[in-house]
Amino acid sequence: MNEYNYNFNDVNINSYTPAYDPNDRLNTMMVGGMNIFTPQDAYERGNLFKDLYNQYKNYKPYKLVAKDERQKLFLEFSQMDFAAHELNLYLDLHPEDKNALTLFNEYRRKANSLLDKYESMYGPLTINSDALNKSPFLWEEENFPFDKGGVSNV
Amino acid sequence: MFRYQKRLQFPVDIKSKDVHLAKILIDQYGGSQSELAAALRYFNQRYTMPDNKGKALLTDIATEELSHLEIIATMVCQLMKGATVEEIKKAGLDAHYAEHKKSLYPTDSNGVPFTITYVSTTGDPLADISEDMAAEQKARAVYENIIDLTDDPDVLKPLLWLRQREIVHYNRFKELFEYYQSMFTKVQDKKDNNTNMNNTSLNLNNFNIPFDNYMLTDFDITKRN
Repeated sequence: MNEYNYNFNDVNINSYTPAYDPNDRLNTMMVGGMNIFTPQDAYERGNLFKDLYNQYKNYKPYKLVAKDERQKLFLEFSQMDFAAHELNLYLDLHPEDKNALTLFNEYRRKANSLLDKYESMYGPLTINSDALNKSPFLWEEENFPFDKGGVSNV
Repeated sequence: MFRYQKRLQFPVDIKSKDVHLAKILIDQYGGSQSELAAALRYFNQRYTMPDNKGKALLTDIATEELSHLEIIATMVCQLMKGATVEEIKKAGLDAHYAEHKKSLYPTDSNGVPFTITYVSTTGDPLADISEDMAAEQKARAVYENIIDLTDDPDVLKPLLWLRQREIVHYNRFKELFEYYQSMFTKVQDKKDNNTNMNNTSLNLNNFNIPFDNYMLTDFDITKRN
């Protein structure tokens, strides 16, 4: 067991659970005239923008469920990071949209603080992390995300 | 410059070996509509975009495509994990095995190696972004084809997610295309007014203006002439 493994790949699936509730509390949030999902719902779908979301046949998005505290923290970071990334692409074309910029900065700040917290608890995901201030060199210790054995042996 | 983050953009955890599906899925690693082709296409085209909107969008989407390439690679490796030589032969990957054993190699699902001729860069922003829009639609279609070919939820989960990303990227490129089209039309109208020509063609050759004139500030038509 490597305590510095993050466990992104071990996020559980409850298959075919529709994650989107149309009466969602944030249903009214909009960017550029488009309704947007919460970061959680957006990450499960791969799409922040409700009006761009396009379901293939009858395939519903899969619910992502964290098995433990570390997965929960990692999932929260991934969700915030993804929402910020979606707004980044939007803002590339609409740099004057103050509402989108405010939201981008909110998600970006949350993602950064979740990443800091994750790295300090479970090891570095980025090469400029403060978590690298230890011996041995944890960047190399950490298993690679494509290595199934590595990410599964928590 | 680029820095690696030691994580996947979306989780992959495939528990069932499926060598035949690996042979199918490799198409999105090294085929004509692959994530590799997408990343290289956008990285190449960004240098000749007329303003920072296009440069920013192409840079950010190209970077994301590399993350998708890593997701596909991870899926292929996990589908191949523990495959026996018999299974590899049965799945039609014996030719791959002869040259590459079980290592990853960018080919399409027929084993044809990746070629940069899948990618085009014309230097004409409207032509290039039209290609990008088409590329996203074709990648979406290929994802749907592959989704049709499997019923493993571990495989469907990232495939559905990646398919959705193609849709978002397509819409962003479409927005950029329409924006550039409107800007070129404005420049053309200004030129027509100045030369008493009534030519509304979008053919950029009509301008006969050096490339640099298309950079950033030249979309501000008040500064022209």
